Amino acid sequence: MPFSRSDVLPFFRHAVSVFLLTTLLQVGPGAVAHAETLIRTGGATTVLPVVSKAAPEFTRTHPEVRITVSAGGSGVGIQGVSGGNLDIGMASREMTGQEIQRFGDRPFEVHVIGRDAVACVISSEVYDAGVKTLARDQIRKIYEGKIRNWKEVGGPDRPIVVIDKERHRGTRHVFMNYVFGNPKAIARGARLVTGSNNEEQAKIAQSDAAIGMLSFAWINEEVRGVGLNIEGRIVQPTSRNVANGTWPIARNLNLLTASPARPEIEQFIQFLKGPEGQAIVEASHYLPIRREEGSRIAQGD
Amino acid sequence: MRRLLHSEIDFRHPFVLITGLLTALASGVVVFLFLFLVIQGQPAFTRMGFAFFSGEEWIPGETYGAWPLIYGSLVVTGLALLWVLPPALGCALFTSEYLRPKARVAMKAAMELLAGVPGILYGLLGVSFLAVWVRDVLGLIDGNTLLTASLLLAVMVLPTIMTLSEDACRAVPSEYRDTARALGLTRAEVVFGVVLPQALPGIAGAVLLGLGRAMGETVAVMLVIGGLDRVPLPWYDITQPGQNIPSKLGREAAEALGSGLHWNALIASGLVLFLMVMLFSLAGNFLLKRKRA
Repeated sequence: MPFSRSDVLPFFRHAVSVFLLTTLLQVGPGAVAHAETLIRTGGATTVLPVVSKAAPEFTRTHPEVRITVSAGGSGVGIQGVSGGNLDIGMASREMTGQEIQRFGDRPFEVHVIGRDAVACVISSEVYDAGVKTLARDQIRKIYEGKIRNWKEVGGPDRPIVVIDKERHRGTRHVFMNYVFGNPKAIARGARLVTGSNNEEQAKIAQSDAAIGMLSFAWINEEVRGVGLNIEGRIVQPTSRNVANGTWPIARNLNLLTASPARPEIEQFIQFLKGPEGQAIVEASHYLPIRREEGSRIAQGD
Repeated sequence: MRRLLHSEIDFRHPFVLITGLLTALASGVVVFLFLFLVIQGQPAFTRMGFAFFSGEEWIPGETYGAWPLIYGSLVVTGLALLWVLPPALGCALFTSEYLRPKARVAMKAAMELLAGVPGILYGLLGVSFLAVWVRDVLGLIDGNTLLTASLLLAVMVLPTIMTLSEDACRAVPSEYRDTARALGLTRAEVVFGVVLPQALPGIAGAVLLGLGRAMGETVAVMLVIGGLDRVPLPWYDITQPGQNIPSKLGREAAEALGSGLHWNALIASGLVLFLMVMLFSLAGNFLLKRKRA
């Protein structure tokens, strides 16, 4: 049915004015929001507890700064900074050569805010049934799929649920580097692939026959860290053994920024390296850094 | 422009112009999406060739074989439809043919409410109960499997398929039922011999819509499918973990964003998913047309 011009136009004009009005109203609060500065952080779920606890502490003394913290994994954090989507990338591993290449000739800085260790963890049912320690060779055979039953390593007669992590995750790089000597090793024996520390912790807790890799901070009653049998010497996963260097799977907690960073970003990182930030690092079950250690530039692989 | 419009419409009229512009915008989104997928995914196809579809290894930085993901998508969706069809059809026929009007309205309201529940909530149920049940009932070492994902998807698309199928059954004119009854057919004969065949095109449409949702569902599947890029051995063992395309995209997109071939390969698998859903809808439409003719 054809419309005549006269009966539609008034409606049209009205609609336009309503549209303009609502747009103008939206501009108001938006303009105010731009007055404060935003720091976008994201990446490793290992580093996340520290940064998300530090963010409100920092903004209390710097009310003009707003900090967002998102998860995703080390690869996401590094990729976020090189792609310009994040101001601070959290990474629980060093950067790979490929990741450094993505920065091209743009300078970047890596800040170490603490240290952490990765443990080989198993379901509490298996731990209680007698598997208290594993040797590196045994872990490797489990991940290769050559050992498939817990009874082969002194546990109950139960198939092993081998839990792998997404390939870019920091915990995986560090763990695989120890077990296989290659951070990108392929785990043929894997049954599940998980993402964040929380997801992996939940899957191991849910199972009664699982093995996985987790940062010390995620070990609990249901998810037990096994001792490592290193040439007959048993090294337990304790923070003392990490501090004195006997625990072999340790790593830096890194914050990655473009260089030079904006002053408020620099301030936030200094806050994390300072006494208050380091107290948060300790409260999150990680090891604080000594101040003089400074940043170590990423190693290629 | 002239040739697209009805002859008596004046295209200079503001209302016609605005609605026309919006139509162009809406169809432009589809074209843009398709072009985006083709252009961004193309490097993965040229680099990998046919191995992109047949390869079973997906190692970022080295090789991208999407066969486990494609296989997982097909198997999980296919199984979900297999599980969902009997209950959805039974429920639709019962609601449409046997329930009193008031009970029918209540049933429909419940179904439509269920259809709107966000996928992540089903995912939470899936990880906390379904995966554990599947493990315990079947005696598996772990409950995150292709089967679990398909069961979860079946539950998710049940309300959509059921309520649309019920609409299709209700749309069969009551004269048909009366005539059939007058001819001496029993209630059951009317339902299966008259209503069901007449409603079949509508039911096929409902199933295709459900299929679309099942194929694209990401978060719920991601939580229970296992996340392992591998075709089970033997291939029909659905109690093994697997991976489907949306779950793969969900897990890796943020890390791969703008990072060369890895990103292209993810987009390329998105294109494969897009084409698969399109192929199924086209096939469905073709069947519907043949049925009517």
